[in-house]
Amino acid sequence: MIQSVGRAARILKALGSESARLGVTELAERLGLAKATVYGLLRTLEAHQLVEQDLETGKYRLGPALLQLGNAFLDNNELRTRSLLWAEALAGRAREAVHVGVLYGPNVLLVHHVFRPDNSLQILQVGASIPWHACALGKAMVAYTDTDAQAELLAGPLPRLTGRTLTGRDALEAELAAVVGRGVAVEDQEAIVGEAGIAAALFDHRGAVVGAIGLAGPVERLLPDGPPAETVAAVKEAARGLSRELGAGRPAVPRAGA
Amino acid sequence: MTAAAVAVPWPGCVPGSRREAAGIVDAACVRSWLGVVATRLEAERDFLTQLDAAIGDADHGVNMHRGFTAVMVRIGESEDATPGQLLKTAGRTFVSTVGGAAGPLYGTAFLQAGEALGDAASFGPRLLLDALRASLEGVQRVGAAAVGDKTMVDALSPALGAFELELRMGGAREAAAEGMRATIPLQARKGRASYLGPRSVGHQDPGATSTALMFAALEQAVLADRSQRFAAGTRRRGSGT
Repeated sequence: MIQSVGRAARILKALGSESARLGVTELAERLGLAKATVYGLLRTLEAHQLVEQDLETGKYRLGPALLQLGNAFLDNNELRTRSLLWAEALAGRAREAVHVGVLYGPNVLLVHHVFRPDNSLQILQVGASIPWHACALGKAMVAYTDTDAQAELLAGPLPRLTGRTLTGRDALEAELAAVVGRGVAVEDQEAIVGEAGIAAALFDHRGAVVGAIGLAGPVERLLPDGPPAETVAAVKEAARGLSRELGAGRPAVPRAGA
Repeated sequence: MTAAAVAVPWPGCVPGSRREAAGIVDAACVRSWLGVVATRLEAERDFLTQLDAAIGDADHGVNMHRGFTAVMVRIGESEDATPGQLLKTAGRTFVSTVGGAAGPLYGTAFLQAGEALGDAASFGPRLLLDALRASLEGVQRVGAAAVGDKTMVDALSPALGAFELELRMGGAREAAAEGMRATIPLQARKGRASYLGPRSVGHQDPGATSTALMFAALEQAVLADRSQRFAAGTRRRGSGT
């Protein structure tokens, strides 16, 4: 491990975690480093536009080069690129917001978000990170991940996010079995009170799960009386179509716990 | 715990007195409280939405305003005669008209408070304390949030704690506002804001803000009610002899 690179990374993370800008002294205190060291690192990062200094206050904030890197990360994500059309079509058909996510450790990272097509004010959730066991996307993916990875995720921390979050290992195992049986995962206010989700897993040419696509919205609309059959069909169809585009066999029906 | 001896514990009554036992907040006062909340929510709608846009989905102000507008219409038509009935009507209306997390959470809070007040025609601080406890329990059952998770519980729980100590509306209002401000440096652990991880730090929680608003409105309504009664009482005495 190269120490200075590690320190530079910690500076970037510290600046990324605060909405307020940080000065050299604050950063030095927070990271437990000498001010001169922090200053040197900041100057180097600034030369690469990874941080920038506020001219008025002298404090530092993240720089514009990071935006390019972030966008490059998202653009390089093949799943996101390929999902654009399918996600748009699903949102139009179901009249609800669509999320596309990948599993990143124990969390679902949202790589694409299509707004509910009703002209209401909505906030882009791309980049959001949701514990896998509390959302439809996560349950859809984990139901088809290999048994070792699944066991590890089931043994990991399973925080309670609402009164309805499934946090027991047995309950989640039964839930994952139900996902495989139904072909879609359903979430009923398990991550956010009042919100629900219906999602299906995405597979590549090896039959391995590479992500999930699904609907997210108010529980009273998405699950009026359980998940409506036509909504489930729309989600499955989008997932099948997108999987085929990612190279999955036809039909893209995977083996559970493969 | 000598805090119950603090002056002006509850407008117009002393803890343990007969007046307290009889209760002083009646259905009319509850109606006026809900009215003050509705007015304040209208004024703060954009502010709440702004707070929510930073760490949520930018609908808290609109949702709360829509919910309370519906509540005012519904209780205007209703003949609910007790504070408990009024709060239960408010809770049911909220659940059925408000989307997002606010509907189920505030709906539950009002329903549980209404249940706790039972058939009482009016209530004093002891019964209010029971109602607040029931609200907090309901909110925590639905939302699983604890103090420090950056939610409405951060305003509700300290307000309840302060009221329990002093039985003073002003104390509850101050504690709720303090709890609301204390959410700013916190990292959210519940709700949509928690998806942002460390990026939720530095923003005031919209739910704690609307909860603090309700305590401020409650104090305002109870004080206004008290001064009205006082004025009416003085007039009666003056003209009666």
